[in-house]
Amino acid sequence: MTIVGRNIPHDSASGHVTGESIYIDDMPFARNELVVDFYWSRVANGRIRSIDLYAAAKVPGIVGLYTWRDLNHNRLGPIIQDEPLLAENIVSYIGQPIVVIAAESREAIRLAKATIRIDIEEYEPVFTIDDAKRRKQFIAATRFIRRGDAAEAFAKAEHVIEGTFVNGGQDHFYLESQAAMAVPGELGALTIYSSTQHTSEVQEVSAHLLGLPANKVVVITKRMGGGFGGKEAQATHPAVMAALVAHKTGRPARIVYNKDDDMQVTGGRHPFQNDYKVAFASDGTITALKVDFYSDGGAFADLSTAVLGRAMCHADNAYYIANAEISGTICRTNFPPNTAFRGFGGPQGIATIENIIEEIAFRLHKDPVEIRIRNCYGIDDRNVTPYGQVVTNNTLPRLFEDLVARSDYHKRVADVAAFNARSKTHLRGISCTAVKFGISFNTKFLNQANALVNVYLDGSVQVSTGATEMGQGVNTKIRQFVAEEFAIDPELVLLMPTSTEKNNNTSATAASAAADLNGSAAVDACRKIRARLLDIAARELAGRTDDLEASPATIAFDDGTIYDRRRPALRLTWKELVKLAYLQRVSLGERGFYATQGLDWNADKGSGSPFLYYTNGCAVSEVLIDRFTGEMHVVRADLLMDIGRSVNPGIDRGQITGGFIQAMGWLTNEELSYAPGGELLTHSPTTYKIPNIQDLPPVFNVDCIDNDTNTQNIRGSKAVGEPPFCLGISILNAVKNALSYVSGAEIPKINAPATGEEILMRLTQYKNAKRVLAKNGEPVAVAAG
Amino acid sequence: MRDYVLFFINGREQRARGSEVFRTLSSYLRYDLGKTGTKIVCEEGDCGACSVLLGRIVDGDFRYEPVNSCILALGQLDGTSIVSVEGLNANGELNAVQESMIVSHGAQCGYCTPGFIVAMSALFESKEKLTEKDVRDGLTGNLCRCTGYEPIVKAALGVDGKTMAKIGDLYPAAPMLAAIRAARSEGGVAIEASGRAFAAPDALADAIRFKSDHAPVTILQGGTDVGVWVNKRDFTAPAILSLANVDGLDELRVENGAIIAGAKVTLAAFERFVEERIPELFGILNVFGSPQIKNAGTLVGNIANGSPIGDTLPYLLVAEAKLELTGAKGSRVVEINSFYKGYKQFDLAADEIITRVIAPIVTTRPSSILNLYKISRRKDLDISAFTAAMRLRIERDVIAQAWIAYGGVAPTVVRMPKTEAFVTGKVPSLELFERAGAIARGEITPISDVRGSREYRSQLAENIMARFWYDAFDLEQEALSVQTYRGMA
Repeated sequence: MTIVGRNIPHDSASGHVTGESIYIDDMPFARNELVVDFYWSRVANGRIRSIDLYAAAKVPGIVGLYTWRDLNHNRLGPIIQDEPLLAENIVSYIGQPIVVIAAESREAIRLAKATIRIDIEEYEPVFTIDDAKRRKQFIAATRFIRRGDAAEAFAKAEHVIEGTFVNGGQDHFYLESQAAMAVPGELGALTIYSSTQHTSEVQEVSAHLLGLPANKVVVITKRMGGGFGGKEAQATHPAVMAALVAHKTGRPARIVYNKDDDMQVTGGRHPFQNDYKVAFASDGTITALKVDFYSDGGAFADLSTAVLGRAMCHADNAYYIANAEISGTICRTNFPPNTAFRGFGGPQGIATIENIIEEIAFRLHKDPVEIRIRNCYGIDDRNVTPYGQVVTNNTLPRLFEDLVARSDYHKRVADVAAFNARSKTHLRGISCTAVKFGISFNTKFLNQANALVNVYLDGSVQVSTGATEMGQGVNTKIRQFVAEEFAIDPELVLLMPTSTEKNNNTSATAASAAADLNGSAAVDACRKIRARLLDIAARELAGRTDDLEASPATIAFDDGTIYDRRRPALRLTWKELVKLAYLQRVSLGERGFYATQGLDWNADKGSGSPFLYYTNGCAVSEVLIDRFTGEMHVVRADLLMDIGRSVNPGIDRGQITGGFIQAMGWLTNEELSYAPGGELLTHSPTTYKIPNIQDLPPVFNVDCIDNDTNTQNIRGSKAVGEPPFCLGISILNAVKNALSYVSGAEIPKINAPATGEEILMRLTQYKNAKRVLAKNGEPVAVAAG
Repeated sequence: MRDYVLFFINGREQRARGSEVFRTLSSYLRYDLGKTGTKIVCEEGDCGACSVLLGRIVDGDFRYEPVNSCILALGQLDGTSIVSVEGLNANGELNAVQESMIVSHGAQCGYCTPGFIVAMSALFESKEKLTEKDVRDGLTGNLCRCTGYEPIVKAALGVDGKTMAKIGDLYPAAPMLAAIRAARSEGGVAIEASGRAFAAPDALADAIRFKSDHAPVTILQGGTDVGVWVNKRDFTAPAILSLANVDGLDELRVENGAIIAGAKVTLAAFERFVEERIPELFGILNVFGSPQIKNAGTLVGNIANGSPIGDTLPYLLVAEAKLELTGAKGSRVVEINSFYKGYKQFDLAADEIITRVIAPIVTTRPSSILNLYKISRRKDLDISAFTAAMRLRIERDVIAQAWIAYGGVAPTVVRMPKTEAFVTGKVPSLELFERAGAIARGEITPISDVRGSREYRSQLAENIMARFWYDAFDLEQEALSVQTYRGMA
């Protein structure tokens, strides 16, 4: 019986389907509880001249109004502490908190907000990457990854293409908006219930800003209603606000953003605008690549430096690039700080190179897949990334070959061409792209985890780790790892709410690595307990015979029983063994620890081996476009991934389908629109359109290859949270491919998101260009496709 | 007269009095009754996390349909039976939908899940086995950010509907119906609270009197627009009128080649009614909104809201529909084409209520052609950027008459007289419609907003003419495009 690898349901599934699962806003009201909210800047850039809270304080039901002066410290930031929790004299984005409001009711808050007067001298805001570049308004220094001699390779190049790849931002749109509740305890202590991916950060920042020692703040996360990175750094703000109110008033305090506020005040995925130049041979081999990444970091650093680092480390994606010159710069704009979002810069890097490859193919009149396979990382050679890491356990060539066959790619390319020649109303396009996603935090010290495992006398087990559950199933996977170690029914294993009281100094649940890191730590704890149990079992089983010597080495755990391999018929039950251990005064609890070995990354030099291994995949997407309206549908998608040995096929599949569709949203319909003054206009699902069930491609084939050769990670598995997101990039390139049938000799261009409007604009541009050509009597070039 | 509204939640009687009638059902469920399975996310009916089953009396029994509880006021619930997610497994056991969602991994973070469970369970009220189209259409109103929907579709297809208990079996109707009858015998509802008035009278005359006495009155029928204003714009109407207890306003029938639809006819009922009769309009209603919205919202509400992108309006304009308006002095009938006087301005007196729509059935082919277009960012459950209705009467291969209406290009949905005149009397050809497109483009001055730029809308206004030509006249292209959609989408 192996428990790891089994398709068992999510450990919260039955609570989810009945509505019994508890989220922050579902927790019962506490006695004396206060409602917390905040007043935020309506100005994108300016200096606060005065704050008038006089009338607000008089509104019945208002209990407290707090500004930055009420905090012990007012700076936070996961990497660079440049961000005030509450604006001091400068406001830097619309949505920036200025005043925290505590009240007896929502109605009091509504009335109070209407009376607050904040006089702000407005400065000219910066809303675009171009504007920030012109003004040299950057966050941190430009970073580089360099290999070989790009200048020489460009000089000798047979072909060169230059261009700019533009992608928009994305709102996380977790269904549960940001929320936290703080309950005051004795002697200044606080318990904070937070919908966060990072309990330790909430603990540290709350303690620091309130002037408390960390040990007086306990942060507990039962679950989140979705996170996707949006609750890695930015769940901290509401938690600290609730903590501030609880600390000041001595009353429980709860803050729950509404969806409109959440979308307006929090940051999202980083928009990028990347200038590139690629050199390639006539056979399609890339000989040099230069990419200058520019991200829109928003007003403060947040996680932008790390996001940019990951983008730069994914500029190669699945492709060997002999000569590379990659730079990355973060633009400071007057938008909410952009932050972690599934993929963490990886998608922006990958989308850039996949776009480039599509253009190389167009220029050479070759099939893009041919170019991709030609440039794909080799197994034994051409297998070192521009930053110097050797690509091991490389399944990419196999994935390409397998998926091209499974998806009937070549026949469908011919069908698409035939269709496009015939249809006057529609266009089809198809593309196959890949993902090679590095697993581990780029920041070495984050790659550690601890776990607590307690075994109770009835044989049931509690496990606590720093991993937080946001739906991704990390708790279910750890449950399986633990059950496997003891060879017991997973039902006996319960994952407890994440709490800083049990697991200290944890890393965010992020980088796809939570199950790897925390699972490994839990297994470490289990093995320590198991080692002690082996001795007891060996003695006990030997004692029940006349002829056996106690031999821990031959003790086996199997299906809830423990036996000596030399006498398999004689068995102890798990519960009996646990009881024996207790009676013999042997500890049944243990703390485990794990630190990923072999990582080495120098961000300043842009070199080293930041990742433990890579998760790989390929996707073929096909789209159908209305030539008159620009409306686009994804009509078929085929995904194939290498996730090593799957820990739980059902949960892993859910990550793949969910990630792909989320990326579809990013690249097609999800567009953040702003008024000229910088107000977000798309702050609810009426105007911000994430995919719905009708957008699921009618033909959607999802599969994983068998790969049991990943020796780097726990039980041969590979992380799965973020990599499949990057497969959605095939959709954008399928649109590009469709446009190649109408763009004449011009390389077809498409920015993300490829909305109906963006597509129609391109179609119209190419149609008008063709009309001009036809009028001038020149031949109209037809794309090879 | 009564000073309370009576409804049931999971079989238990509830009475809302005073200013409670203005509260939303979702907030009442969560914060008063502690039924926190119903989630509040968007507060505007676009995500479905707050879905509950609304049982309204049809032919002496409750018919349960999913609605969004976040945009439903308690005052609207008089005489209804509500079932929340907690009420679905009344016998303590999971239902087949819940079981299937568990094993199919249909829930990840769980926040959207109760809404999906409610909407999916509702599908088995009328069917035992679902097709994939049933599932997609039935769950259009529920957003999930985690799963990518694939596991949810599988879960729904994996349910054996025979094992699903009907809501009516969980909550016997008889005692609830008796209580409702008893309450109704006390008359309609009239409430004054916190300086606001609410009425749910049981006679049309009383409704009209209320409307003229308390002007300006907001009629709250489906509440799919008003509920959003309340949540998002702090809209506090001084006087609210519900027609829920007025009999006779839910008629839906055909007379002299026209559909007669009463003021209470929901978009869902209208959609079902036109499926065979006006397939082209059915296609629009199909993507118009979610089941939750269509089960609450009404056809008359769509007309009375008068939005420039109201999705039923282009058809009604080209079909030359009429509206019956009833006021203190009786009824009059107006042409819909002259009803709209400007942005949200109508030919409607303070005491008047739109009581009926008379919508001629436009037959298609060979002498008549009708095509409707709705362009939105997302195909389903999205407010349009642009809409169009194209209707032609062909005589001896010539366009004898043209009716063209555009939405999203002006303060109201508009007819396009210059374009209509240009094509009239001519033989249809691609070139003709390309030229018509240029004329149409010149005939409008759209604005840029969050749903699309002025340039985009102008381009659509132009292009839709050629698109129409291919759809209506180029049979080879039409066949290819139909085949493409059927084969793939």
